[in-house]
Amino acid sequence: MFGYIRAYKPYMRMYEYEIYKSVYCGICKDMDRRFGFVTRFTLSYDAAFLALMDMSVREKKLAVKNERCIAHPWKKSMCAVCGSDLSYASTVSVLLTYHKLKDDIADKGFKKKLLACCLLPFFRKPYKKACKKYGDLSDKISEAMKLQVSVEKDKSAGIDAACEPTALMMQAVFSELGKNKREKAILARFGYCLGRFIYVTDALDDLKKDIAEGGYNPLIIYMNNYGIDWDGQGKFPKQLRDFCDVTVNMSLGQLADCYVALRLKRFREILDNIVYLGLKYTYDSVKQEKFNKKNKDRKGTTTI
Amino acid sequence: MTNGKDPYVVLGVQRSASEEEVKAAYKELVKKYHPDQYEGNPLKDVANEKMAEINQAYDEIINNIRNGEASSRFSASANFDSAAVRNLIQTGNITEADNVLSRVDPAMRDAEWYFLKGSVCYKRGWFNEAYDNFSRASSINPGNAEYAAALNQLGSQRNGQMNGMPSGYYQNKNVDAASCCCDLICLDSCCECMGGDLIPCC
Repeated sequence: MFGYIRAYKPYMRMYEYEIYKSVYCGICKDMDRRFGFVTRFTLSYDAAFLALMDMSVREKKLAVKNERCIAHPWKKSMCAVCGSDLSYASTVSVLLTYHKLKDDIADKGFKKKLLACCLLPFFRKPYKKACKKYGDLSDKISEAMKLQVSVEKDKSAGIDAACEPTALMMQAVFSELGKNKREKAILARFGYCLGRFIYVTDALDDLKKDIAEGGYNPLIIYMNNYGIDWDGQGKFPKQLRDFCDVTVNMSLGQLADCYVALRLKRFREILDNIVYLGLKYTYDSVKQEKFNKKNKDRKGTTTI
Repeated sequence: MTNGKDPYVVLGVQRSASEEEVKAAYKELVKKYHPDQYEGNPLKDVANEKMAEINQAYDEIINNIRNGEASSRFSASANFDSAAVRNLIQTGNITEADNVLSRVDPAMRDAEWYFLKGSVCYKRGWFNEAYDNFSRASSINPGNAEYAAALNQLGSQRNGQMNGMPSGYYQNKNVDAASCCCDLICLDSCCECMGGDLIPCC
């Protein structure tokens, strides 16, 4: 998926962190079991959030056991037991990755294209399997991808229009979790806002690269429209940062409204952490260009 | 409303809320403030007052909805059929509402038009355009409470407000002397409750 939805670790309690990790671990194993070995390497913490939301909305119990993990084969760690509880998250992860790979082949740079070409064959069969179970969802995702292509051609589209495809995609993913009409409607809006957040964050994350390579980016269009002259070197211009701030803030504010309306109880602390701290922290680190591993300043001092 | 408070703010529902949503919000508030729960409690008067306020607000909104003129006393437009558009938005027919609005001649677009356009964008999740339209409506007609409320709500979120954020997150930074004393006194009373004592002199 995208990798922008994650918890803010410093504010997590130990047991929350362990549950969070065990869910991630469980999804990874579930993907391996149902979709094949290769698919598990494309997993991100976004899927863990989706699984936790799923279990929280449907008030499912979480079973955990100590198991070995392929990333750390020498020690056993807590791992959620694979079952129907995690299957939605792993299926969605496969669906979204498949579409992203196809998208990469169509318009990304050479390296990404090559990687996507290598990975895609491993996703054909899992994709078909996932489609059988969630055909509607898969159709909606394909539709959103088509909309994405047409939005990218429209050079005058505002940020709202540019966000729409991703937002609709996440809307479809989250509305599926609801048990009744009311919940479905709230979750749909929740997903929509989350999709907007992801898209704007992603656009900011890719901005420098897109400026250098001349790729599509809605923020470049914004800068052209408002006469911001920036060559992609150094810090982001202030006007652009402010614009992203308000766009992200409004999406998160509305997302919080939906989140409150859901009145979730299970895994509340972890979900609170992700919704109220994790998302903002992710966005802030993207804004300060500390999000990608290459940029992470591991040795330098951090001021708190 | 007689006491001057906006009924929609009192119930915490949007102006476009349906009857069901209003009822749900009302039930929730009644549960919270019903004076029976405050029997023998000094807060009873406050609860009574609050209940009266809630009842009044509820009646007013329900009347508005039933008369099919939801909050139309707040604003209307002479240039197009704004009641019809409001009705479309309220029933969730966003696409049709947008179509009607886009057919209005650009020269005839007034504050009401920008407000309704903003509401359509808001419902669709196009918050940037919604905010721009709300602020345009508000700047054309600054005295309108409805436009100002819509702008305010989105405006506070635009500045980073998130509903339901647990207290304690990010709030441990500015500790001043007074709040420190307060904490100590609270801690002392807690200790005394349990039979201990933190500050022996008080």
